[in-house]
Amino acid sequence: MATASKPQTGMKSAEKEELLRIEGISKIYDGTVKAVDDVSLTVYKGEIFGLLGGSGCGKSTLLRMLAGFEAPTKGKIYLAEQDITNLPAYQRPINMMFQSYALFPHLSVWENIAFGLKRDGMPKDQIAERVEKMLGLVQLTKFAPRKPHQLSGGQQQRVALARSLAKRPQLLLLDEPLGALDKKLRETTQLELVNIIEQVGVTCVLVTHDQEEAMTMASRIAVMSEGYFLQVGDPDTVYEMPNSRKVADFIGNVNMFEGVIEEDEPDHVTVRSLECIHYVGHGISGHAGMQVGVALRPEKVMLSKRKPKGDYNWAEGEVIEIVYFGAHTTYHLKLASGMVLKAQEINSTRDLSCGLTWGDKAYAHWSNEAMVVLTQ
Amino acid sequence: MSHGLNKYFGKAWMLAVYMFLYLPIVTLVIYSFNDSKLVTVWSHASLRWYSALAADADLISAVWLSLKIAFVSALMSVFFGTFVAFALNRYKRFVGRTFLSSMANMPLVMPEVIVGLALLLMLVSVQHWLGFPERGLFTILLGHALLGTAYAAVVVTSRLKEMDGRLDEAAMDLGSKPWQVFTLVTFPLLVPALVSAFLLTFTLSFDDVVLSAFLSGPGYNTMPMVIFSRARLGLNPTINAVATVTITVVTIAVIASSFYTSHVERKRKREMALAYSDAIR
Repeated sequence: MATASKPQTGMKSAEKEELLRIEGISKIYDGTVKAVDDVSLTVYKGEIFGLLGGSGCGKSTLLRMLAGFEAPTKGKIYLAEQDITNLPAYQRPINMMFQSYALFPHLSVWENIAFGLKRDGMPKDQIAERVEKMLGLVQLTKFAPRKPHQLSGGQQQRVALARSLAKRPQLLLLDEPLGALDKKLRETTQLELVNIIEQVGVTCVLVTHDQEEAMTMASRIAVMSEGYFLQVGDPDTVYEMPNSRKVADFIGNVNMFEGVIEEDEPDHVTVRSLECIHYVGHGISGHAGMQVGVALRPEKVMLSKRKPKGDYNWAEGEVIEIVYFGAHTTYHLKLASGMVLKAQEINSTRDLSCGLTWGDKAYAHWSNEAMVVLTQ
Repeated sequence: MSHGLNKYFGKAWMLAVYMFLYLPIVTLVIYSFNDSKLVTVWSHASLRWYSALAADADLISAVWLSLKIAFVSALMSVFFGTFVAFALNRYKRFVGRTFLSSMANMPLVMPEVIVGLALLLMLVSVQHWLGFPERGLFTILLGHALLGTAYAAVVVTSRLKEMDGRLDEAAMDLGSKPWQVFTLVTFPLLVPALVSAFLLTFTLSFDDVVLSAFLSGPGYNTMPMVIFSRARLGLNPTINAVATVTITVVTIAVIASSFYTSHVERKRKREMALAYSDAIR
């Protein structure tokens, strides 16, 4: 999971200037369905904030409330200390880049970008200047007279971006910005998008169901489920230190062992599970006898044919599946307990490094710092 | 073997259907060039009935009246139908929504005779109380617009449904007030649907006989009414001539419009293909 460019990582918390503040917002449909359930959030200036979650988790509803398309049932939204909860969408200094772009099909690229500026009553020469600038920013100057259907998907996406940036919004909302593009185009577009956003310096709230998209683009992410936030943090924190089984399971692949804490020391813990004894090289906030989950990412598992030394952090199993991805291979190991352990090996040479094949006995082992103990 | 048989059967079946649909019309066109005074007996070809038509002031004024009524009532239908469709589509909750939607659809299923009779009774009593409206052009327009509104609402609704609701939101997001959303985005995108709604309600009105018969007053005879009343007295070949003229005009209009639509569609496809090959480069 590559983390591309992060404009905010070097910033100290004291320098952060608050831009958007959501206070205890809820959206309840028909009196019972809680789409968004008492969510509070602060987004700082210059940040790209990612809302990540599966379909129906409430992320889109939250975004629509920020844009002003839905009124919250409860709670307040502040933008730069101003209460905008009841401000109609057309008066908010917030613009949105829509999923599948929503470009006006009857207007040219130029007119699409100028649309918002004209509504503000900006003088004509200024509009022209701004539109040219936007076209230059997204490198579509020569496509200005074309209609949206005369553009490819990637070009349409850039027009949508230019249109949403033209009014210089205080906050830019991105609704699944890369959802409509194919995989190859996504990777390049992703970086392009982040570069442009940084160049302009606009604060963003990004909604996506694609964890890779959220991790590469956002400087902070919130994992959302059933209308509330499970965890908010830097992408690497959320990935390496998930706070619950749900988050660990949602972000990336994970092997989850269920066990009981045996030893609880300040500098280490041991957890006994059906498969093996885990030796965790750091203290946790738990106590002996507690039921916990031990989460282990597949890329942190190593495989060998020889039995590892020591009593901890290894398990024996049979290779039941080999999934080849090109850059890496995932081995599925069936352990004695019946659990299937996934191990991801990088294909660093051209012959498959482990030399393991279907039906082979193999040992999986991992380091003291590879796993996370989850109490929730 | 059975496959080949199926193929021939299919073709024969298609031919039968086409004959069923178009043979009467073809016969009518051919017999409009018949010189005989008897509609069903062929003597020899001539343009006699076309010259008779040119001299038939009643029939010609009836055609003009029908055209006028069709044009104005189609405009009215599209206007009101658009409002109905818009209200039902864009406002999901308001008092009387179900009522409006069933009322808007009612004329589609209600027998026209009953609609005509009901309107007549209403208009007679209104005239009794207010001294207005006199039965004639205005009342026919009213009846046709009533029926047409229902059809126009259906056409416009289907277009509104397939239109991306996000476009409206995008317009609003970029600073359009609700009425600007309509005039700048929704309306321009609705134009093709409005044109087809206009054509549909125009033809509905142009060949309507039932409502016109109920609602017209002395001196206001539409073309279908004249044809109908003359047919009762015994068919006159002039009717064949006027029908042929009508068919010709309609056919040309239909062919022209379908050529135009397919041309636009092909152009659009070509441009889209071009855009994608551009992007690959």
